[in-house]
This record gives sequence, structure tokens and C-alpha cells, in this order.
Amino acid sequence: MRVPKIRKRWAIVGASAAILAICAWIHLWFALGVIVVAGAAFVAKRYRIELRGGKAVAAQSASLLQSVAHAITPRSAADPTDTKGLVEEMLAQGRYALLLRKQVVSNLSDEQFERAREALSESMALVPEGEVALGPIDQALEDGKLDNEELALHEGKIVRVSALFLDRFPVTNLQFKEFVDGGGYEQMSIWDPHIWPAVLDFVDQTGAHGPRMWKHGRCEKGHEQHPVVGVSWYEAAAYARWVGKRLPTDAEWVKAGSWPVPLSPTSRMQRKYPWGDSMDRGRCNLWGSGPGRVVAVTDYAQGVSVGGIRQLIGNVWEWTSTNFGAGALHGGDFSLPSPMKSLRGGAFDTYFENQASCHFQSGEKPVARKHNVGFRCAVSMCDLVLAQVSVTDAVGPAAELHEHDKQEVAA
Amino acid sequence: MIKEGSVQLDSYRLAQYSVQVPCYICEGGNSFDAELCRHCFAPMALAHQANSQKIAPRIIAAIGASGVGKTVYLGMLMDILSRQSDRLQMLARGAFSITLQQITASALARNEFPHKTPNEPDRWNWVHSQVRSPAHRRPVDLIMPDLAGEALLEEIDHPHTYPVIRSLLSKCAGVLMLVDTVKLQSGIHDQDYFAMKLLTYLIELDNHPKHGWSQRPVGLVFSKADECEECFDDPVAYAKAHSAGLWQHCNEQFKRFQFFAAGVAGGCAYRNLPEGRVRVPLRIEPRGIIEPFEWLIDELRE
Repeated sequence: MRVPKIRKRWAIVGASAAILAICAWIHLWFALGVIVVAGAAFVAKRYRIELRGGKAVAAQSASLLQSVAHAITPRSAADPTDTKGLVEEMLAQGRYALLLRKQVVSNLSDEQFERAREALSESMALVPEGEVALGPIDQALEDGKLDNEELALHEGKIVRVSALFLDRFPVTNLQFKEFVDGGGYEQMSIWDPHIWPAVLDFVDQTGAHGPRMWKHGRCEKGHEQHPVVGVSWYEAAAYARWVGKRLPTDAEWVKAGSWPVPLSPTSRMQRKYPWGDSMDRGRCNLWGSGPGRVVAVTDYAQGVSVGGIRQLIGNVWEWTSTNFGAGALHGGDFSLPSPMKSLRGGAFDTYFENQASCHFQSGEKPVARKHNVGFRCAVSMCDLVLAQVSVTDAVGPAAELHEHDKQEVAA
Repeated sequence: MIKEGSVQLDSYRLAQYSVQVPCYICEGGNSFDAELCRHCFAPMALAHQANSQKIAPRIIAAIGASGVGKTVYLGMLMDILSRQSDRLQMLARGAFSITLQQITASALARNEFPHKTPNEPDRWNWVHSQVRSPAHRRPVDLIMPDLAGEALLEEIDHPHTYPVIRSLLSKCAGVLMLVDTVKLQSGIHDQDYFAMKLLTYLIELDNHPKHGWSQRPVGLVFSKADECEECFDDPVAYAKAHSAGLWQHCNEQFKRFQFFAAGVAGGCAYRNLPEGRVRVPLRIEPRGIIEPFEWLIDELRE
């Protein structure tokens, strides 16, 4: 049967129109997609350009950087008005010490307070107050005890330390990633103002913010539980502030490791190593005793200190908040090529045993980002509220201690 | 008062004196009981060991400017290889071969660098050792002297001042050339020029197209690289960026060369002494010490 000519034409026109409509529809969506992607790329690029621009200007004007810092908001998923969500996020990020601060604790529910306290108890060990001998005193400790005459002979000194909590493990890559992802490098308020111009240079191998050995803002796969290394002293200090803690002082670090016990007003017992007075290479990751690289913070559990702190000796050197001074070395007048911060504990590549004792001190430039230097954090006991109290008590001058904590301090 | 007595005539000694023992380094004749070669001051123990054990040790040398770290590198290398067993193993032949290791390790453990090697060849430390590796069945016997940088420079500028250096470098199977990273990093190119002078001197010593210095392995080691992490990340890129002259020179003159980075101290300070400032290590964490030596041994086996 023959189709009438006119109907055939209409069919062709209709089909063409339909095809055109479909094409137009596809093009419309495609164009929209392109616009969205290009817009996102533009915004992202603009964001980076502003950061990089800030880097160039930062050297000339710190105040401009401050304004950049205020303009950048941290990448936080939680709504700032949602207190519960914020607390949950901070607990997940390991910022429990911040929650236990006097100024913050009143915002917590009983359950949240208890969880923060548990996190503190699991992650940090108590170092009781007392005196500790510092200096190159290893030779004087051959018999395990140290009196004031020996101390003076070896250029040592006595320092009094207040009670504090010290991290049981060095800060891991996983923990530090929380800081990086949480916008730690962009919150200028937690960085020392004089280092602002350098913060944008603290990048990983791909130019993203993070430790020197990382790539694309993350550590090597399988190294999540390794201590974070390749971080400067300033990055370590900023992380510590971000989690509501601080870097330990030299005296606090040595006290935690050597665990001094007073024998008389002029004499004391003090350990050379956290486990005792003689080196046992099986208890720490040093040159020749380990695999020749950084290992997970949970390894070498036998090297635990009396207080329950792991890996004080070996694996990675640890930044402390104290300036490295000439008094750290034996005999004579020393000068440093540039100001340094104190390092403690030795690392996986420390060659000599006598350089991996509790009392051996080394130093490094605070901007150095070495492959074998990490850190752990501390928080003073007086800065935390350890028992749920009323708001007025919580913000008072002295924090109340839980009965259990009092017993711990007494012990 | 005069006492009478009988003196035994050791005629065999006269016979021994009549036979000359050639020095292993310069091949000059010496009496059998000489401690040092009378021509070049190399220890005659090297020749006696080679004769008695019927071996022909190969000679390698660590060369470089004064203060570049030759003593620390060699001493640390020996100490590491004698302590670990999984890679190369080094066994000292003769008590004199342990002196360098002992001096270096003792000083570093006290947070000091060993004293500068004196210019007089009779006071240099020599090492004769056997090197074994799990990958190779046959061990390699090596002689390594700890040369003074100033003596090297003197010999280059005024040839034949130190015959021992000329004889030694002529017989060397390969060298490790040390270059100070700290000075390169600070923009001082003396190290660069000194290294180029030394390499030119080697080529002049033996320019035979088949077995001359152009065919022998040369390991270029950036010493004190702990002060510069980027040097460890990529020594070749570092050489191109900071020591372009040396890089170009090696490319043109040598067939077998490789750049390395090495460091012993993790950080340094200065001790103020009446005679001036002395550099002291703040901690000892050796890096990249074995790799250049391992490469050189592999090249020698080929």
C-alpha cells in the first residue's frame, strides 16, 4: 500500500523534530554539566590562587596573612551551632583534651564528659609531680643512683616538674591526618605568628599541606599507625594546640622516661632507660636492632616505661618545647649555627646506644622536617577538669581532681 | 772494666737483608724488616700479607678536599660493615686495619669528630680487609688508605711531592670522591673545582683507552648530606643543580660513575676552643654510607 506523499513528509518532519529536541536536551544537560564543572574548577583554582598569592604577600605582611586565615574556614562537617555534633566530631578527631579544658567542659553532657575522660585515660599516662635530674649524667648513673655531688661533677641540674599527662604513644600519621583534614594548616590562630610566612611552605611531596614524606595529603598506605615524621617543630606545636595539648618540656619528657625516685634530700634513683639501667636492644628500634626504618607505635611494647608510655627510646626522635642549649653537651663552650629545639629519645637510625638514653639530648632547627623526628603531646594536669563539676567550679582557678586521680598522683 | 762475651752471628739475617722486598704500593725495594716503605712510607705489612697469603688485594681510595669527611666515611664504613651481617661483611686483615675504625667510632660516640689526618704519610691509617657479600661466592681483598686532603692537593699542584699518592692512585681500581654538601649548599664552589682537579689528575695518571681511569669506576659521594635532605632525595638532580661543572666533567671524562649522598651526623654544633671553632656532631645516624661502597665493589667485580 502506498503512503500518501503529504503524510510521509509530516512523518519525516516529526521524526527530525524529535531528534532535534533530544539533541537539544542532551546538549542542554551537557552544557549545564560543563558549566558546573568549570565553575567548580574555577572556584577551586581561585581558592588555590588566593592561597599562593597569600604566600607571596605573607613575607611582606603578616597582617594580610591573618586576614587570609580568617577568610578560610576549616573543613568541618559539623554545624557550629550544633554543640553535640561538634563534641562528637572533636572526640572522633582525638581532641578530648580540648573538651576537658575548664572553659569547655561545662558544655559537655555527663556521657560526653565520661567519654572524654576515658579517651584521656586510654591515650595519655600520668606523670606525677616531682624533681628530675637533667644533663649529661649517664656516667654518674652507673650505680643507678645519683647524689648532688655527682650531679655537680657531671654538669647536671635538678628541675621540678608539675603533674602532667603525656601521650602513651607518639602522634601517628592517622592522627595527624585528622589535623590536616580538619584544616589545621589553615587555622592561623594555632600557629606561632612569626612562622606564618613559612606555613604555606610546609607541604608534602606533591605540594599539598602535610608532612614532608606524604603524598597528596596522605601517608603511604599501611603507615597509618607509624609515628608521623617529616614535621617541623612548628607543625608539631600547632597540632598539639589543635588537640588542646602542648609539647612536653625537656624535664617533663625525661621525668616520664627515667621515673626518678628520691632516696634522700640529696640523693635519688633515676633510670637510664625507661625499662631499667642497662640497654636492651630488643626493647627499642635502634640502628642494628630494628628493621632500619620507622615502625608502628604499638611495636616494641617491652620498652614501656613505668608509667605506661611506649617508645620513648628509639623509632623516632621527639620534639620537646625546650630550646636546645649549650649545656646539653659535655665539656666546654658551645655555639649553635642557628637556634635549635631539643630532641629526645633516639630514632631507628641512632647508631650509638649512649645516644639513645633518657638523658641524652640532641637538637635540631625548628623548621627542619627530618625523616626520623616525630613528637608526642602533653597536657598539664592543672589545665584539665577531671571530675564533672558545676560551671562555676569548672572555670575556677583550680580544677578539682577525681578521687581516683588523686590516688594516682599520690602513687 | 771490659767484659768478654760471645755474640752469635745471625748469618741468616744477612741473607735476608740481601733480598729486597718490594713495596705493595710503589714497588720500591725495602729490607725484610722495614715497617714502612723507605720510598713512599706505605706500611710494608701490606706487602708481607700479600706475599704470605698469596693474594693480590685491589686498592681503592676515598679522595676529596681537606675536611670533606674521608676519615669519618671510611671509619664509619668499616664499623658498619663489621657490625652487620646481612649485606656486605668486612673482615680486617691485620691489627693495623682496625685502628681507623677504632679512632672514628670512639670519637663519634663522644660527640666529636676524629682529628684531622696529618699530612705525613707515615702517620696515615691503612686498612687491609676482606669483603664478602651473600651475592658473590668469592671474597674481595681490598686496601684502603686514609689520605690527607692537604697532601692530595699538594701532590696535584706539585706532582711527585708525595710519591705514595701518585703510586697509589695509579694502582687504584676505583675511587670514591667525596664532595662537601654543606659548602656546595652555601654556594662555595671550591669543592667543585677541587673535585674536577682531582679527576683531571686521575685521567692524566693513566689515560689508556682500555684500562685507564676513564674506564675505572668513580663513585661521587656528597658527604655531610644530612644537612640537606633534597640531596638524599635525588643525588643526581642535586649534582646537576649545585655542582654542574663536576657533573659535566664526569659525563665527558668517565664511563663508569655514579652520584651518591651520605651523612653520619644528624645535626652539628660548634665547640669554641682557643684555636678556633670545631664542628661537633649532635647525634650519629649514618645514612648512605654503604651504598657507594657496594656500588664500587660491584663495579670492580665486573
